[in-house]
Amino acid sequence: MRRRSEMASRLSLPGIRQIGEIVNGTRDLGEEAVVVENVSKRFRIPHERKSTFYDHLFGLARGGRYSYEVFSALEEVTFSVRRGETFGVIGPNGCGKSTLLKILAGVLRPDAGRVAIAGKVAPFLELGVGFHPELSAVENIRLYGAIMGLSRREVEGKREEILEFADLKRFENMKLKNFSSGMYVKLAFATAIEANPDILLVDEVLSVGDEAFQKKCGAKIEEIRRAGKTIVYVSHALGSVRDLCDRCLFLQEGKIAALGEAEEVVEEYLRRMR
Amino acid sequence: MWIVEYRELIRILTVSDLKVKYQSSVLGFLWSLLNPLLMMLVLYFVFSNVFKFEDDSFALYLLIGIVAWRFLANGTMTSISAIVGRPSLVTKVYVPRQVLVLSTVLSSFTSSILEFSVLIPLLIFFGVDLSANVLFFPLIHLAFLGLVYGMSLVLSALYVYYRDLNQIWDVLLQAGFFLSPIVYPAEIVPDKYLAAYMLNPVTVTIEMYREALLYATAPSAADLAFVAAAAGAALLVGGAVFGRLEGRFAEEI
Repeated sequence: MRRRSEMASRLSLPGIRQIGEIVNGTRDLGEEAVVVENVSKRFRIPHERKSTFYDHLFGLARGGRYSYEVFSALEEVTFSVRRGETFGVIGPNGCGKSTLLKILAGVLRPDAGRVAIAGKVAPFLELGVGFHPELSAVENIRLYGAIMGLSRREVEGKREEILEFADLKRFENMKLKNFSSGMYVKLAFATAIEANPDILLVDEVLSVGDEAFQKKCGAKIEEIRRAGKTIVYVSHALGSVRDLCDRCLFLQEGKIAALGEAEEVVEEYLRRMR
Repeated sequence: MWIVEYRELIRILTVSDLKVKYQSSVLGFLWSLLNPLLMMLVLYFVFSNVFKFEDDSFALYLLIGIVAWRFLANGTMTSISAIVGRPSLVTKVYVPRQVLVLSTVLSSFTSSILEFSVLIPLLIFFGVDLSANVLFFPLIHLAFLGLVYGMSLVLSALYVYYRDLNQIWDVLLQAGFFLSPIVYPAEIVPDKYLAAYMLNPVTVTIEMYREALLYATAPSAADLAFVAAAAGAALLVGGAVFGRLEGRFAEEI
């Protein structure tokens, strides 16, 4: 009997129960736009990658155990972002910045803790997510709008603005696979920014396109900031974090090393990294 | 509710899936109609001597079974990779992951409706008396959709973790093809196994398609209720399994 329960536990599915919670959408959080409470995220790194039924059965037959190492990417992280604030996240490579951003974007689910977000989130984790090379520029705009949960009418209303912002009016019916990489990025940025999100998650993707377009992007971000949107900005460019952000979070090995005014946190970061 | 909020994305993904399916082969849509017809011809020549039908409706009997089965087989086989096949929509941005599964199932559903609608003129041509009972078709097809979607939810979620599932499922589908009354009449099943045999909701569904389309009879309320209940159960179980496994999709892809 005991043997049997052991078997069952070995056969159990690799998705362990996650108690973390993400509350998305139009919840009213008062002054706050993003609230993160005691969020932890651990990744499992199996010693032997078992990704088929065959592997699992073979492993069982040899009496092997499902063993893995746990890598803790975020530990008990708590902070909140105020409405209309530009909030920076800095830290050395592998400190958990991207994990945090992915949790905020709803892509990863935390193992513990709570994340609440008031409003619509536009993740700029990568430009041109969901874009299909066989579709035309306009069709891709519709596709991306739908990914952002916009209705058909909303997308049609923004179509001209997007094409104008990206300077691609002439190419609206060209298939995406014939676009140059610069044109691709312009279209992606323009589409994402015009989706009119309440909260922007930006992961160092703004250094794209030619000089003129970069300026345009910078101006657009500034405009969005003035319009009172919330921006979470992850970057290694300390200068731009200091200039753009009101407050800043400094992560080190998955824990909060400093949190406060952008200027001071950047100072602290430089001191520790020295 | 995600279905309502993301209806536009579901529509776009379904349509683009259909476009790709029908544009990628030279014969396009025609090919998808030829496939079941050719399969029917092969099976007809093999099995028409084995099973003696009183009238000559065996070809149509086969065709209805094949077209119905194709929805299950194509629907589950394409949606098994619905999650794994679109990694950027899983790891880079949040969309309810069920959207990806539902749109592939709906694409197969649409193909299936097209195949059935070509079947109707064939039925008339071969002198089948269609009655008002044809109106049961949408009801049966919707229940079947629920069943296929529920199964697809489980399969697509498990496939993220077990990448040989498609091979296993392929074999199970082959077994299922011969465990369902497609190439043979259900009457040949020995009496002692019949009760167990009829517990398969796919069997009951295929029989109901034939009743409505071929035999001009109304499916019994008990059969309809049984398939609807099976579809409901598939949706509940599928939703629960999917929800349980969804949390680590982005890490495992």
